[in-house]
Amino acid sequence: MTDRIKTMTVSATLATCTSFLMALWLAGAAAEAQLAPPSSSAQHIYSQAKPDLLQLRVLLKSGHTQSSVGSGFLIGTSHLVVTNYHVMSQIALEPETYTGEYIDTNGRRGAVELLAVDVLHDLAVVRIDRPGSGFFTVPEQLPTLTQGQYLYSLGNPLDLGFAISEGAYNGVISRGFYDQLMFTGPINAGMSGGPNMTVDGQVAGVNVSKRQDGELVSFLVPARYVRDLLKKVAGQKQTPKDFKILTGLQLLEHQALMMDRLEKTPLTFKVLGPYRVPAWESDQVRCWGQSNAKQSKPYTVDEVNCAIESRIYVSDQLETGMIAINHKFLKSRELGVWQFSSLAGASFKDQGMGGHKDTRYTQAQCREQFVSNGKLPMRAVICLRAYRKFPELYDFALMTASTDESRMSLQSRLDARGVSFENGLRISRIFIEGISRESRP
Amino acid sequence: MNPPFFVEVLNRSGEVRHRQRVDALPIRIGRGYDNDFILDDRHACPHHAIIERSCEGDISIRDLDSKNGVILKGSRCERASLDGNTIFRLGHTPLRLRSVDFPTDDALTDTTLHQWEGWPPAMTGVLVILLLTLAGEWFTDTEKFEPIRYVTASVGVLSMSLLWCGTWALANRLFAGHMRIGRHLFITACGLLVSEIISLLCSISAYAFSLEVFTRYDSHLAMAVVSGMVYFHLLTINPAHKKSFALTGVIVSLMGSVVILMINFQSKGYLADELFMSEMFSPAWRMSSDKPASDFLAETRKLKDIVDTERARPVSGDLADDEGEKNGN
Repeated sequence: MTDRIKTMTVSATLATCTSFLMALWLAGAAAEAQLAPPSSSAQHIYSQAKPDLLQLRVLLKSGHTQSSVGSGFLIGTSHLVVTNYHVMSQIALEPETYTGEYIDTNGRRGAVELLAVDVLHDLAVVRIDRPGSGFFTVPEQLPTLTQGQYLYSLGNPLDLGFAISEGAYNGVISRGFYDQLMFTGPINAGMSGGPNMTVDGQVAGVNVSKRQDGELVSFLVPARYVRDLLKKVAGQKQTPKDFKILTGLQLLEHQALMMDRLEKTPLTFKVLGPYRVPAWESDQVRCWGQSNAKQSKPYTVDEVNCAIESRIYVSDQLETGMIAINHKFLKSRELGVWQFSSLAGASFKDQGMGGHKDTRYTQAQCREQFVSNGKLPMRAVICLRAYRKFPELYDFALMTASTDESRMSLQSRLDARGVSFENGLRISRIFIEGISRESRP
Repeated sequence: MNPPFFVEVLNRSGEVRHRQRVDALPIRIGRGYDNDFILDDRHACPHHAIIERSCEGDISIRDLDSKNGVILKGSRCERASLDGNTIFRLGHTPLRLRSVDFPTDDALTDTTLHQWEGWPPAMTGVLVILLLTLAGEWFTDTEKFEPIRYVTASVGVLSMSLLWCGTWALANRLFAGHMRIGRHLFITACGLLVSEIISLLCSISAYAFSLEVFTRYDSHLAMAVVSGMVYFHLLTINPAHKKSFALTGVIVSLMGSVVILMINFQSKGYLADELFMSEMFSPAWRMSSDKPASDFLAETRKLKDIVDTERARPVSGDLADDEGEKNGN
């Protein structure tokens, strides 16, 4: 369990910003102290960027009260504004409930129109009713960054007012499936979607998130993805009508890439007692182990947890596109056969896929069977549920328990979230075929 | 019908509450003290009715212009002839007239074990309950041995059993005049024993023969055992109503099962007690053969059809949920 928690905190990269954004925008005073005093180059950048810097608000159509806020910036002299997908997600998914508006540094307001989303890199492009001054450009040739160089993030932290913060560039992070830049400087909620600049006024990236368990560890979407999305918008003849469908398609694209990457990495294995279990350990899939070996317990539980640390943020209620594995090895010399049976049973019991009243998914359907993969007899349960808003996407849960020893039990679980049916089935097959027994004890 | 006669006061279920011998006809009945049979019923008149021999020679009852009349089979009548089985009502009191020559049935065969009362069944019951609790605790004890766990489990189960038996003994005292707590304890112990054996057999056979349905619905068997216990408790109170008690047991069992299904469906979304069987036993007990893993996974396609059908249906209560999401922000 502690591992699970660890996984959660570590993998909070993409979601951090928004969750923080919703929760903490009132507690401004404490966070303000974090902002470093601007240097003279920061003053210079801010004064130039000011006219094209915007705050973007998502409003409830009924009552016009604001639901979430983020930042954005006007590109060149066009009417196009770049921001994060997660700032605009409510408008993309529930256009009948939410609408958007911008406020510039002079307090001018106006409507925003969503033109394009890139869910996987967390970017969106919107159109507003005024043009930019031409300060922010995303040219074909992007600036090369060197580790340690100063970068400046702009935005409207915590809805307090426009601000600039200074930090250092610290390389490309490839823990997720999509590159992000590490920025060692303060980014606060509300700055999501704001630009990150080099000292000579070039766009380096877009503020996206920060680590809540770290100090000043923030992340940027690299400028090249902004460039690609703007190209797409330029080639777009008309605005897509339904961004929900588009989001669904991008999620499908993500799971295909994720599976492709998994299948290309050679399957790694972990050894638990006499068993060999699949783990896929790689840059994207991180594994932790833990053991309960204590004098006070007459049995031992060794665990291996492996998971893809990044998830795709779809909305406040939904993060998906990930794979998690748990292997648990129970063993006892002291317990009798009956007692061990009840220990193994209790450990296998009550695993599920969450409540049936969740409207994001259909009710989970399960099959159970005593199976053998030719190497090990097992008890296996597979559960499946579908995403209601996104066709073709499913959650898989596969649970197995070895049935070859009376005082030893290997219990494994595979969770594949937001995958196509065929991919889910394929990874389940690789998983179940990968479990084997190496040696006699 | 020949004298002497007996006027019998009955209760609502037709049993005799008391009877009075009257030597000759006519028999005057009413609340007044000048009657042959004094009826203590506030709905009866001082001179309510008279039983006499009619002109035809049979014995009949005649209403003496009373306020509430003589009621026979639900309707009021002026005069009615009586035999030993006719029940008539005056006020709120059902009555019957029998004569000395009324034929009586043979004695019932005594099937009650009179030595199996009191301490022997009580001590056996307590012993069985204790052994069951200790065994149950031992089977599931996955920690280092600590006697206190066994003691607390025993005390818990025993006090629950005593509470259950006490309630039945109280009912027994109320309706039959004596407690028979020993018998009730024994019945409780037997019920617990049977339900433990059934649940163990269910688990083992589900594991051995891949019959998951046994563990997924075993609470219904437990419900059946409970209603069996109710049947025997009722029979201990009154052995005369075997049939109606058996019916009560069946109804209790069916209603209990329906409630279990409803609770499961409400809280989990499916009717079974659990999503899947979690019982694990020694591999030596596996009897049926294992399926190839690939065949098992191939069956997932059937699940896909089910969830795809459900996805196509609109969600009920979606609106209410959206409200919740907004508030959450």
